[in-house]
This record gives sequence, C-alpha cells and structure tokens, in this order.
Amino acid sequence: MQTFEPVIVAFCCHYCAYTAADMAGSMRLSYPANVKIVRVPCSGKVDTIHMMKALEKGADGVLVAGCLDGDCHFKNGNTKAVRRVALVQETLKELGIEPERLSMVTMSAGMGTRFAQIATDFTEEIRKLGPNPVCAGIEAKAAAGAVAKAN
Amino acid sequence: MTDQTTDQNKTVLVIGGGVGGIKAAMDLSEASQNVLLIDKAAAIGGLMTQLDRTFPTNNCDLCTISPRLSAGSRQQHIELLPLTQLTGLSGEAGNFTITMTSAPRYIDLEKCTACGECHKKYPECVRFNPGLDHRAPTCMRYPQATPQAFSIDMAACKDVDGLVKVCPANAILRDDTEKQHTRTVSSVILATGAELFDPGKLDHLGHGRYPNVVTGLEYERIMSASGPTLGQLVRPSDGKQPTRVAWIQCAGSRGINREDVSYCSSVCCMYALKEAIVTKERFQDDIETTIFYMDMRTFGKDYEAYYQRAKDQYGVRMVRCRPHSIIPDQPGDDLAISYATDAGAGLTTEKFDMVVLSTGFRPTAAATQLAATLGIELNPHHFAKTQSFQPVTTNKPGIYVCGVFESPKDIPETMVQASAAACMASKHLPRTNGATESDDLPPERDVTGEEPRIGVFVCDCGQNIGGAIDVQSVVAEAAKYPNVVLSEMSGHGCGKEALERIQQMVVEKNLNRVVIGACSPRTHEELFQQTIRQAGLNKYLVAVANIRDQNAWVHAGAPELATAKAKKQIRMAVFGVAESGPLKEYLLPMNKEILVLGGGVAGMNSALELADRGFKVFLAERNGRLGGLTALVRRNLEGDDVQAFLTQLVDRTNAHENIEVITNAIVVDHQGMPGKFTTGFQIGPRMYYRAIEHGATVMATGALARRPNQYLLDRHKAVMTQLDLDSLLEDQSAQVSEWQSLVMIQCVGSRTADNPNCSRICCQTAMKNALRLLDLNPDMRIFVLYRDMRTFGFSEDAYIEARRRGVIFVRYESETPPQAEAAGAQVAVRFTDPILGRPVEVTADRLVLSTGLMADDETTEDLAAIFHLNRTEDGYFLEEHVKLKPVDMSVPGFFVAGTAHSPRTIRDSITQAQAVAARVQALLARNTINLGATVARVDATKCATCLACVRACPYQVPFINEDRSSEIDPAKCHGCGICAAECPAKAIQLSRFEDEPILAQLEGLLERIA
Repeated sequence: MQTFEPVIVAFCCHYCAYTAADMAGSMRLSYPANVKIVRVPCSGKVDTIHMMKALEKGADGVLVAGCLDGDCHFKNGNTKAVRRVALVQETLKELGIEPERLSMVTMSAGMGTRFAQIATDFTEEIRKLGPNPVCAGIEAKAAAGAVAKAN
Repeated sequence: MTDQTTDQNKTVLVIGGGVGGIKAAMDLSEASQNVLLIDKAAAIGGLMTQLDRTFPTNNCDLCTISPRLSAGSRQQHIELLPLTQLTGLSGEAGNFTITMTSAPRYIDLEKCTACGECHKKYPECVRFNPGLDHRAPTCMRYPQATPQAFSIDMAACKDVDGLVKVCPANAILRDDTEKQHTRTVSSVILATGAELFDPGKLDHLGHGRYPNVVTGLEYERIMSASGPTLGQLVRPSDGKQPTRVAWIQCAGSRGINREDVSYCSSVCCMYALKEAIVTKERFQDDIETTIFYMDMRTFGKDYEAYYQRAKDQYGVRMVRCRPHSIIPDQPGDDLAISYATDAGAGLTTEKFDMVVLSTGFRPTAAATQLAATLGIELNPHHFAKTQSFQPVTTNKPGIYVCGVFESPKDIPETMVQASAAACMASKHLPRTNGATESDDLPPERDVTGEEPRIGVFVCDCGQNIGGAIDVQSVVAEAAKYPNVVLSEMSGHGCGKEALERIQQMVVEKNLNRVVIGACSPRTHEELFQQTIRQAGLNKYLVAVANIRDQNAWVHAGAPELATAKAKKQIRMAVFGVAESGPLKEYLLPMNKEILVLGGGVAGMNSALELADRGFKVFLAERNGRLGGLTALVRRNLEGDDVQAFLTQLVDRTNAHENIEVITNAIVVDHQGMPGKFTTGFQIGPRMYYRAIEHGATVMATGALARRPNQYLLDRHKAVMTQLDLDSLLEDQSAQVSEWQSLVMIQCVGSRTADNPNCSRICCQTAMKNALRLLDLNPDMRIFVLYRDMRTFGFSEDAYIEARRRGVIFVRYESETPPQAEAAGAQVAVRFTDPILGRPVEVTADRLVLSTGLMADDETTEDLAAIFHLNRTEDGYFLEEHVKLKPVDMSVPGFFVAGTAHSPRTIRDSITQAQAVAARVQALLARNTINLGATVARVDATKCATCLACVRACPYQVPFINEDRSSEIDPAKCHGCGICAAECPAKAIQLSRFEDEPILAQLEGLLERIA
C-alpha cells in the first residue's frame, strides 16, 4: 500500500500568513506539497462553514493562519479566529473527528521560516493521524455504491 | 486612469529612497503629481529595511514597509532611478534643470525576474544580502527589494561569459555603462538621510576588535528574520546564544572627546529599549538585559509608557552611568564593563557576553557634497538648515528637506516631515484637475447570465516556474477542467506581449473569466486586473494561482510533486473564479472643501497651505479669536519673536479669500464619509445652527497648558510656571534682572502615576528661559531640578550652554520629589543631591515649575464621541498608524495636527500642519471617491437582528436601521469579513470573498475525480 499523503488546506490571511508563505518561497525553503493555500483577507474571515466543509469534503487537516497576536491588520480578527477555531475543535470532538486536524497558527509577514516549519510539522502530525475518517466514509460509500451497481 | 500630463517640468525630484523619500513620493503621487525618485543604492528602502522591529508597537519592520515599497513601485506617477546621483542643478524654483549620473547595474530591469540563478552560480559577482555589514553596496538588500532585481559587481566577476549565460531571462548586460541624464523639475525634496556612527573609531569601546561588541543596527540584523543568522540570536564570536547583553547609550554622541558629536541622536534610547524588550519577549529569563544610560530620552508620544513597560513588565535593568570602556574578559570572548552609580561607592565590574553600542546619526559626506552642489546652507552640525517657522524649507527656494538630513529623528517624525515636504514641494506645480476612475477604458462587457468561459494562462517565468513544474502537462490538464475553453502557456505572463495575448484571447474566444498560473497575486494581481479590464472585462473576473512563490520556489527538488500541486492550484482557481461575479467599485463625487477645527498655529497653517492651493477651507474655532496656545508664548528656543509671527499668521488667515473663519463655533453633529461629510455647528452667542458640507476634516483642536495645584503655585507670589516666566522675561526684564537666585523643577505634573507621559517641550523651555535669565543677569544662581534632561537633537546645545554658563543641574527621583515652602517673599526648596548623597536647601527668589501640556480632555472627549475618533488614554487624538500614517486618523477623511496629537513645539506643529495639507490634497486629488469592491453586504431578508455583526466589527460599522435589519455603510467598511464569518444567519457576504468562491476552491481541490 502506498504511503498516505494527507491533503491540507491552509486558510491564510492576506497581510501576514499569505505573505509569509510567499516569503518562504523567496527564501527557497522547502515544505510538503500537501499544503494548499486559500487566501482570505483576514483570519477572522474564516467561517466555521469553511473549516467544516473542508473536512467534510475530505481534507485531512485544516490550518487557519493569521497575524501575530496584536499585529492583526484589522485590529483583532486573529483573536476572533483563535476563538472560532477552538469552538470548531469542540464540535469536531463531538463528531468523533480528531480536533488536532484543525489548527490555528500565527506569524508575521516576514516569518517565511516559520510558515515552512509549521507546514512541515502539521503535515507530519496529520500523516500520523491517518486519513480523515469522513473521507474514509465517503470512499466506503462510493465503493459500496459501486458494488451495488455492479450487482 | 492616466489623466495626468507627463510634462517633465511638472515633476518633483525626490533624492533618497528611504522611508522619508518614499513617503514624500507616495503622497505626491497620490495627489496625482509626478515624481522622479532617485537613490544612489540599487534598491530603495534605506535604513528602515535593515531593522528587525520598530518601536513602540514592536511591529515587524519589513511587514510594515514592504507593502509601501511595492506599492511605490506600482505608482504610475513615480519614476524610480536607482544607482543614481544628482551632479548638478541650475535654474530656479518651478524650473530647475538637473543633471544626474546613473551607475551601471549590468542588469536589464525589464527582464530580471529576481530568480536568483546568477547569485546561486556566481555569488561573488552578485550583490545580495548584506549580512551583518549594513553598509555593503547591495541590490537585493532584503527579500522584498524594489526594484525586484539583482545588480552585478562586474569588477568582482572573473567569468563574465559564464555569468551572462547562466541568466535564463537574458537580463545581464555585460556592456552596461554609466549614464548621464538631464531633466527639468519644478522642485526638489532632499531625503538623503544620514549614516550611523562607526564606533570602531572609539578604541575604548572595542568595536571591530572584540567580536561580541556590536552596534545597535548590527544587533537588529542578528535579530532580523531576513538577517545573516535568519533571526537566531547568537553572538558573533562563537555562535552561542548570549545570556547577558548590555547596551551602552550615547556611543559617540553627547560627548566632547575625539570623534564624538555634541548633539543627541534622539532615537537611540527608544531603539535600545526596543531591542531589550524584543530580546526579553523572545527569551524571557534566559537573557538578562542591561542598559547603561545618562538620561533616558523617551519624549515621544506614549514613549514614556514604553520605557516604564521595559522596566516593570519586561525586567530590563537600567543603570544610570556612562561606562568609560569595554575590556575583554579573558580567557573567552566575554566582556567586562566597570561602572559607578549613585547608590554604591566606587566602581563595580560586571561581565557581559555581548555588548551593544547605541550609535547615533552622522551627516554623510555625500549629503554635505550634495548641499554644496545645490547651494544649501547647513547648520554647525552639518545637517540641513531650516527656519523655526518653516521647518522643511531650505535657504534655496524650491528645495525642501525631510528626515534625518534635517536633524536626527525617528520614523514617525520622518514620515510627518516627508508629507510636509511633499506639501511644500507641490506649491511649485500646477494644481491638477483631478483624476476620475475609469477614464479612457472601454465599456465593461456585461457577463451576467453567461455560462463561465474560462481562459487559463500558465507562466513558466523563464526557469522560475518551468524549472520545477512541467508547465505543458499543467496546461493540458487545465484544458479538461469544467468551463475552461482555452488553456495555454504564457511564458513571462507579466511581459507586454503575454498581456496583449491575454487581451486578444479574451476578445477572440469571448472569455468571461481568466485564470493566470503565475507568481504571487500580492505583487501581480493588480496588473492582471488592469489587463482584463482593458479587454472589457470586469477586473474582478481574474484569479491568480500562485504557482511560483508558493510552489516552484518551494518544491524545486521535487518536480512531480510540484506539477501535481500546480494542477490542483489551477483547479482551485478555476473553480473559484467560476463562482465569482463582476463587482462594482463604489464611486461617489468628491466634495473638495475642507473643514479645519481649531484656529491655533496648526489649524491656521493647514488652512493656509490648502487655501493657497485653491481649496475652500472652513476654519472653525471654539473661542472668539484665533491663536490658540501660541498666544501664550513669547519666545522660542531659537529666540524668535513668537507673537510677531502669530500676528502675521492670523492676519493672513483672516484676509485669505479661500478661508472662511468661523469663531465661537461648537460642533454639535456630524455624518457622512470622506468626500461627503456634513458637520453641524452652533455658532456665536445666539447659538444659531449651521451645517457645513466638506470632503475632509482636520482636527487641530490643541491642548491646554497644565497648571497643577502643586508647589505653592497660585498661592505664593514667587512661584510661577515657565510660561509665566516667559512673559515676565519680555515685559518686566528690569525686575527679573534683580533676582539673585531661582530654582526650576522639571516634570511637575508629568511622568507621574496619574499622567505618565512626558510633555516633550519642558526641558527645552527650561533651557531657553535659563539662558535668557543669564543674559539679563549673568550672576543669577539657577538650579534645575530634573529627572532626565530630555534636550533631544540639537537642543542639547542649549543644555551644554546652560551648564557652561553655570546653571546647576541636580537630579531627583520620582519617589523623592523636591519640597518647597514659603520663606517670606522667597521660597525655600529642599532636595537631595545624589552626588553628595545628602539633603540641600536653597532659598530662592523665584520658583519656576515646568508644567508642560495636557490634553483638552473635555473637548477631545466630546469630539471623539461626535466623530467616532479614537483617543489615547491621556486624551490626545490617536493617529491611524504611528509609523505609516502619523497624521491620518483611523476614521477615513480625518487628519490630526498640532498639540491635539501630542505635546509638541510650534515648529513641530507647523510640520504636522503642512503634512496634513499634503494628506488632504492626496485624498481630494480624485474627482470621485472609490470605496473599492471588498465590502460586506447584508441580505436584509436573512438578518435576524442578532447584533453579532455589530459586536464583531473592529470598526463599529454595522448598525441596526429603521427596518430592524443590520446595515453596513460601504464607505466605512474596511473589508475584513469578520462580520460575515460571525453572522449566524449567513446574512452577510463579503464581496470578492463570498462563501461560494471559497467553497468552490475547496471543491476544486478536494472533489474526487472519477
């Protein structure tokens, strides 16, 4: 069986995290290709639905990345994001999904190194957790459907 | 969009691309004026880009300035000439002829993509990161350099043929030569900055001999994420993390010895505190921080609170002593410092493993040379000379100065001066007719109801993308994605040909959406938006997939992974853009009339600068007369007659045809948005109501002179404030000259628990008055009881002069303030002399209190409530951004000048007033107000009036309207989308970032392909 390659969605705020990701590129730092970035104006814009849908559609891990505490371009969007992520983690627990699949991180725009490090560490963590159980469910269902059809 | 004439003689020349030069250029460009910005370095940015973080917010500096720089490079009115120096100037204001020399870069800026291949193969030929040496002549001095291109050191290059071949973009010009240019400009702004003192000249401090003695800037480089150690705090000798770091203040400043200068550099106390705080923040108790200082000069707005935090919250140790020398502590690389304090007898010796020298600014030889070329007068310290009431105007008409070349100063003050210089320089240009959005653009094609027809263009960016990603296979794959009708390679997609191809395809293939696989949208999205807009599509119908910075550059070693990821990224963009719709930017006609509140020096100067430029100004003053606080001041430190100046200013204001002065006016209500405000007043004794419509608002409402109930003030005739003394010196000099002894007490009512900030002006005022007293009676015994003498910048000269002429300075601690009691007609003042270590009593003819300024709390509170403005804890108005927007306020369309901002001198108030005038001109340059498209919209049918948005908005924009639905004024919305995320009913959507395109991107990434 081939090694499990998790799919990771990173919601990055335009002003810090997205810039830090660009910076990691300028610095030619390497991090796993598993991480795919969705740009948002502010980490406080990342809706509960966005996080849940990502997991529902089969992402194995979701990162919400904002500015450092106190440096939010929109004053306090990042602290709102921190709170919202914690709430969604609670919901995940209730649903039987590992809350570690969702994580809130902060960085400044200059922290390319930090972005690359976080991307690497988080990918490893998710790899250890294994595939998203929702995703396994989707595939099982699809397989069952295929079997039923074949029959 | 391009409304402006490109007539070259209507250009302002800005010399120096540091923060000051950039700010001046951007203010002018925002006001639709043309700028030629030259810098002798290969990239603009100056000193600030070398800093790790800036006080007082400890923001990351690069984050703060890099958007400015790339925005600067995009500004259509700014022409940038790096590696260029001015060699001559002739003619007069309004019509100067200048000659310049550009050094060869050996790189074609049009072609260089900053891929770094040349640097990788031939590092010795390519100028890159300066590492610890901030003086190295470099190009890519920092990762976000503008222009984003390298420069070649041909002299160092042995294999020129190899170097030329290695460049995939063919950008290396081996035969590049020095170029001479001649141009015509209307006015000139000097923003040449200064250099930092090289302490290697002071052998007792051991810089250059002991590796662990570094300068403040070198310490910044070590701490900086883009520095030589990538932000690891390690000492140079052995790469170990230090455990005990000491700062020595005034290295080379405030001295009389060889290589010293006498003036104070004004910024070193704050940067040492900042470096110590950042060190503590990162390493807590693992690193001890000690600052050796003479006077802690934290005189800026809220800087004193920063100093207190350093001591109390972070545990930075402060030792008041100027150690003589740094001695190596052998064996090992540690350093020993011997010092004495008031507390102990004799010397204490302590070991440190790293010592930071707080070095200050020095005028550069190049600037001195430039001044000679231009005929600019310098002051005795070799900085540009200006007049007290014309703070950015040099002796030569049409030539202005800002930043550290004028005097040592920090970033906020540099930014204010830069705006002021922009205001003054624009006087020599004709007022522009104003620019309107969407001039000379084809009409927008209506795409509503059409099925998406998406064109995908994938750049290879030379080898930049193509080196890691199989672009062919990405293009082939993208052709299969839903709604994609065209998929092709685009080479250098940002090149002229490629952009024209995109436009051609939009028309030919009837595309209604475009996806570009390219570099970062942060830098290029606007270019692609303009491109499709010119092809008749709404600019919001393009999506950029970042396959360079966030893919090819990251996964260079894994082409298969990179290619697979690029396919996914393009797929996400295709799905996302399919769900995006055309957006309307909100446009409103601009009202170009201005309301100035406050008729003091700041208000009148702002009003006059704007009125002179043809703007109609309403100047509203609460009192019955103009003049403000300045009416109380007779002489400034330079000895000018302040009242003569004020009378002239008031007369000019009253007589100006474009200014309507409204006295006895009290603000009662306000509404609207920038470019369309209405403010209501009650005017005169009858309190009749009048509403004034205006486009911008200037807050210049001033402050109050403090008069605390301390030290027998107003209870004993011999006790007075510095302002009282100022008047007596003018009006009753015969009586004053008979006084035999006088005591001044500094910081009365300032830097205390209930008023923690420093009033900034009192130390200078005390020096001014002490010297005037000695002019009248050279034998007068004057004592100045102080806590820290804060005679920053060149006012240090007055402090030196006062000591030379016999004024006795005695320091006191805040815990043991001096005591005063009546002694007949005299006053007995008791204090402890820290050197003698015992109490002293002086019976003086007069006691003078330095009481400073205080915010006009009642007024600013009322106005803050009416206008929704922010205030500091002590009641001054708060600027939008301490560094980047020091005179803008957080409510768009509002600006602040003078003592309503913070305590300051008349000269500083004038600088701010001129800066505000520049900012107002920038705001009002357009004929329309563009509110952008990224705004939150409420679907009233879904709104449950739960108030979640009202609570969540960081700017208090949403409100509940008469229909009991939330409403968001697009004019005030900042576009963060927090309300949209918080709204439980999903009644709010943020345009450009609606749920559909975001979820569609997820779909594009995660949908399993059968």
